[in-house]
Amino acid sequence: MMMKNAPSRVEIHNEWDIVRARQSGRDYAKELGFGNVDQARIATAISELARNIYLYAKPGVITIEVIDDQGKKGLAITAKDDGPGINDLRQAMEDGYTTSGGLGAGLPGVKRLMDEFDILSEAGKGTKITARKYLR
Amino acid sequence: MRIPILKLYNYLLTTIQVELDDQTAIQFQDDLLKKIHETGALGVVIDLTSVEIIDSYIAKILGDVVNMSELLGAKVVLTGIRPAVALTLVDLGIGLKGVPTALDLEQGLEKLRQELGE
Amino acid sequence: MASSVISLISTRRAEIIERWKESIQKVSGTTDQANGRAIETTNEKLVELIFDYLSDNQSQDRLNNLMGRILQLGWPLSYLTSGVQLFRRVVGTLIIESNEEKGIILDYFQAMDDLLDPIFNNLIEDATSTWENTVSIQKRALLELSAPLIPVMEHIAVMPLIGTIDTERAKLIMENLLEGVITHRAEVVLIDITGVPVVDTMVAHHIIQAAEAVRLVGSECILVGIRPEIAQTIVNLGIELKDFPTRSTLQKGIERALEMTNRKIVCTQEGGNV
Repeated sequence: MMMKNAPSRVEIHNEWDIVRARQSGRDYAKELGFGNVDQARIATAISELARNIYLYAKPGVITIEVIDDQGKKGLAITAKDDGPGINDLRQAMEDGYTTSGGLGAGLPGVKRLMDEFDILSEAGKGTKITARKYLR
Repeated sequence: MRIPILKLYNYLLTTIQVELDDQTAIQFQDDLLKKIHETGALGVVIDLTSVEIIDSYIAKILGDVVNMSELLGAKVVLTGIRPAVALTLVDLGIGLKGVPTALDLEQGLEKLRQELGE
Repeated sequence: MASSVISLISTRRAEIIERWKESIQKVSGTTDQANGRAIETTNEKLVELIFDYLSDNQSQDRLNNLMGRILQLGWPLSYLTSGVQLFRRVVGTLIIESNEEKGIILDYFQAMDDLLDPIFNNLIEDATSTWENTVSIQKRALLELSAPLIPVMEHIAVMPLIGTIDTERAKLIMENLLEGVITHRAEVVLIDITGVPVVDTMVAHHIIQAAEAVRLVGSECILVGIRPEIAQTIVNLGIELKDFPTRSTLQKGIERALEMTNRKIVCTQEGGNV
């Protein structure tokens, strides 16, 4: 199999793109040596991030890349859009908060699925979320 | 993409063998409810052994299906949820509380039989 | 400048060694005869290595060479650093005593620092990386002490937990637990926490998560091995464990598990106690 050092970039326009993005993430995770459960965690986190873009801020981009932080290998998932931004970040990070009729598990869920989670959002300009997970 | 739903006596059986995207999931919700209505089934087993990813959206659709089916008088059991999927759901904070589960199709049917007192 | 400092050092070699030994003896100071002999050998070896390093100014990897030799000896880091520090002090004194002009003395000091600082840095770096390595190996060893899932009878399995549970271990335990449930087709799993010294909010949280995940895959959990003091902390911390059954001992838990799977233990001999 070809080693995937180049980042993968998936544009999110429709629901199928959500599936494409998470499949790509799973492939990367598998290749890097993540276990079964972590593969599912990473793919699910991507699914949540991609869905956020699809629901609120399409089009946007999901980028998946291999990272190496002083020998600590892992995957970084970046979700970037030029959408309306998130008005109340603290509220968006609360469990059970939803504006879409979903379970409201999205962002706090992603934070729990991954090891690191950063979010930058500006009203009217867009949102950039980066989540990382390291090999154990 | 449509997910086949089989009728077996008073029960409906369905195993989801494809990667669940939103469209398929919603189509499945429609199909299952219609089938329950047509057949008057008392119990449903949804087998998820082949499903590798359940995110919060799909989890919500599944939870909704269970509640809607109960309104139509059918008890639903989810079977075969994989360990990786279960752990991911727990991380997401989704316990699917109140939704009956079983290890596999066989035990799912057994559970329905007990619950329905047959 | 480096070369003139080196020539200063090598011409006064004997003197430096004498002074250095005097001061290092104060550091490693012992009155014990046999031990004193060993320490003296060690001291001679160290100062010799430093001299080798200084005079061998042609070689690019002379520093690596020095490090390799020093570390092989397996001396404590504190001894090595004070050894190099004292060497610097002794040479510093010599430089000052040389009565050169101020500018030249400063240059000498600069040159000496350039020579000796890398030794310091490398010593610390090597030592830390060795420690980090050891810690990570031990951490992995601890993870390998993971909890096995033991099938005790058809449809019933037990997972004994032993030792402190941190987040990383909890994750591994949960994966083992769930995979085991599937492999053994266990309808009921008993999680035995007799061997867990402390149950705080975090440990309880992990246990609750495990129980939830077990329910999702289609099995059920019973928490057993709850000691009185653990029951007290659980209630005092306000932790809710009401979603799944708990029992004080493994035995009582197994009785409950049998009930849940519609079975019970019967005595085959009349008059026997169950």
